[in-house]
Amino acid sequence: MSQQGLDRFRALFAEEAETRLGRLNQLLLEIEAADPPPDAIGEIFREVHTLKGAAAVVGFDDLSAYAHVLEEQLEELRAGRRVLDLAVVDSLLAAVDGLAQLISASLTNEDAAELARAIGPPLLDRVAAPAPRAAERVAVATHAPAAARPTPPEAAAPAARTTGPAEARAPSDVRATIQVSVERLDELVRLVGEAASANLRVGRLVHERLGPEATSATELVSLSRLLNELQERAMRTRMVPITTITDQLRRAVRDLARTLGKDVRWEVQGEDTELDRSVLQQLADSLLHVVRNAVDHGIESPEEREHAGKPSFGTVQLHAMQFGSEVTIAVIDDGRGIDVDRVRAKAARQGFDVDDLTDDEALQLVFRSGISTAPSVTDISGRGVGLDVVRASVEAARGRIEIHSERGVGTEMRLMVPTTLAVMRCLVVQADDQRFALPMHRVVVARDGAAATTHAEGRRIIWVGDEPVTVTALGDVLGHPGQAAPTGPIVVVNGTLQRHAFQVDSLVGQRDAVVKGLSGVLPRIDVVAGTSVEPDGSVLVVLDPPGLVERARNSTTKGSKAQMSDADRVRPHHILVVDDALTVRELQRSILERAGYTVSVAGDGVDALGRLAEGDVDLVLTDVEMPRMDGFALTRAIRERPPIANLPVLILTSLSSEEDRQKGLDAGADGYIIKSAFDERALLQAVDGALGAGR
Amino acid sequence: MRALLIPAGEDLYAVDTERVREVVAGPEPTVLPSAPRWVLGVINVRGEIVPLLDTAAMLGVGNSDQPAFAVVVRTAAGPAALTATAIPEFATLGTDLGVAALPGTVSRHRLGQRLVVRIDVDALVTLAHGEAPSVAVDAP
Repeated sequence: MSQQGLDRFRALFAEEAETRLGRLNQLLLEIEAADPPPDAIGEIFREVHTLKGAAAVVGFDDLSAYAHVLEEQLEELRAGRRVLDLAVVDSLLAAVDGLAQLISASLTNEDAAELARAIGPPLLDRVAAPAPRAAERVAVATHAPAAARPTPPEAAAPAARTTGPAEARAPSDVRATIQVSVERLDELVRLVGEAASANLRVGRLVHERLGPEATSATELVSLSRLLNELQERAMRTRMVPITTITDQLRRAVRDLARTLGKDVRWEVQGEDTELDRSVLQQLADSLLHVVRNAVDHGIESPEEREHAGKPSFGTVQLHAMQFGSEVTIAVIDDGRGIDVDRVRAKAARQGFDVDDLTDDEALQLVFRSGISTAPSVTDISGRGVGLDVVRASVEAARGRIEIHSERGVGTEMRLMVPTTLAVMRCLVVQADDQRFALPMHRVVVARDGAAATTHAEGRRIIWVGDEPVTVTALGDVLGHPGQAAPTGPIVVVNGTLQRHAFQVDSLVGQRDAVVKGLSGVLPRIDVVAGTSVEPDGSVLVVLDPPGLVERARNSTTKGSKAQMSDADRVRPHHILVVDDALTVRELQRSILERAGYTVSVAGDGVDALGRLAEGDVDLVLTDVEMPRMDGFALTRAIRERPPIANLPVLILTSLSSEEDRQKGLDAGADGYIIKSAFDERALLQAVDGALGAGR
Repeated sequence: MRALLIPAGEDLYAVDTERVREVVAGPEPTVLPSAPRWVLGVINVRGEIVPLLDTAAMLGVGNSDQPAFAVVVRTAAGPAALTATAIPEFATLGTDLGVAALPGTVSRHRLGQRLVVRIDVDALVTLAHGEAPSVAVDAP
């Protein structure tokens, strides 16, 4: 097979393996349920067998050998020579984890043989802790019977092997689904949209020619209806049911409950609820975190529960439901609830004014960086770098998160996200003869232009609840100054950190717009998020509220600069950005400078220490993977140097495993931002939070 | 060498044929607020949003206010439309007369009594960005 051909098959294998691993995990969890499916072990056996064969075909021999040993063990179970108990399920789950690791290593060209040695063979006759670490497995494996050792790769040659019931593969291979790249689906959605707008133009033409008769042209009406339906169906092709991630959550609940010695039941409702695949992927980590939180901090021990008059087992429920173009996912536990007074006390210590907040409002403070009520820092959660990151990633999916809790009764975490990122709900406004769209999730409220406003510090102010918000004409911010001041409605939007109000000529209406980012041909325009094609073929510019607010604030502060006395001005905080990737470094620099920080940069840990020796740095924001000295080593080096030992350090990285996070925190980092959950707002909040704590 | 001629005021520029996707007559751009001078806006080319770039402004030789045509070209960063002040035509370029002076151009060629300057669309776009990299905040 040519290298190119092999690459193509390996890509296919990656897709197939993902599906099979998902199914394996699901089957193993079903075995534990009250009424397991009749031939679950048989199906597990077949999945492993198929995976083994496929791995051999694409030349992943170590993976294939590992699967072969697992297959032999499964045969023992299937033949009834081994008893299936909890410990065996633990071992099987660990073995499936091993498969996953080997698959990922094989696909990324890592040394799979080395990894296979480190993991050890997938044996069932050892009592394994849930998901044991590699080191433990090696230790156990040395005591394993020699007969069960993995077949050496050269002896395996599994492509030619015919052991195992090959005939049994047929049913699971007949699938009603195929893999289609998202790119192709996007292209489909675009073309269908284009067909719909062409139809609209034809409709207009026919109307011009035929006059009122046109309305009776049933062909045209049915074509329009068909196209609308086609458009909606095309959109739905990107949607996947929430079940795609619930198995992973169920597994997390199970493993964690077993580790903590708690009895936890897991219930899912609305698992058919569909979400855009990219939204769901963005939420997966957040949901995992929330669910683990519920088991770790929410659910009490069986003794504690009985003492409180509750059933000894706790329940964690996941409810998903769709409301219009939004999906709500609630994670509900019947545990001890959150101590609001503790949240208040902690927030007050960090300088929040908590006196006027209701209990529910005070509870929402747990999403702020550094406020966590976990009494002790455990391996699982409670590091204060949790819920703020969860909120950031929910917001990155254009959603929002709420928490409700009652002491002794339980906690409900509610995530509300749009069903799709392909379609964005927008408020369309008119300003200076052009229409603009404002993403609805950033719009706080729209008020009548005649609403009461007042003046302060040379600016126009509108009250939004108890908060004074500055009003600017949208046209002025967009670079059409000097036009007659608009008298139309005032729209209040959320920026990155502050709110701002914009007065427009009129509100046009709401739209579900398919928004495309600006072309790479264009330079970044901070006030524009993207564009969308209207049904009539015209182009609608979608504004970026954070950029807009930033620009508006800069122009208003410039206008009132004279009023700012020198005494009010403090030295801006100085941040050292350490990253070996120029693009990332410059991106962070521009975000931080726009937020008013002074920024220096360094290419790796060694550079950074040199720069720190010059003094005056208030915070370090560092990447992990870097040449010469990585982010963990840099953090440790900072903590060891007395003059800078207390300097806040934030680690920004694409490594997202619990172990890496742990490593960062062990090194002495104050916070850990995962790049996948990274956006401007999350970064600024983390920086703000760390600076606040460091003062 | 075959090329598409792009008239920009008095000047005549050329783009390699294989870079040309299509020509749009009478483009009506939607203005992007606070875009640089050389970005006239975006146009809808059969459902695809394409930036309309002012050819003369990018080359630093004036600007074309009312573009009669837009030449949609393929660039490394995606499709872009370059303005033309008169109808673009195909031509075979004669001998290479050496390096052209303007940023984003590669060579000069004689065509009858006219001197045609060949554009490198990728270089033109990159140079127009100046030092500011176009890095979007990556919403994952």
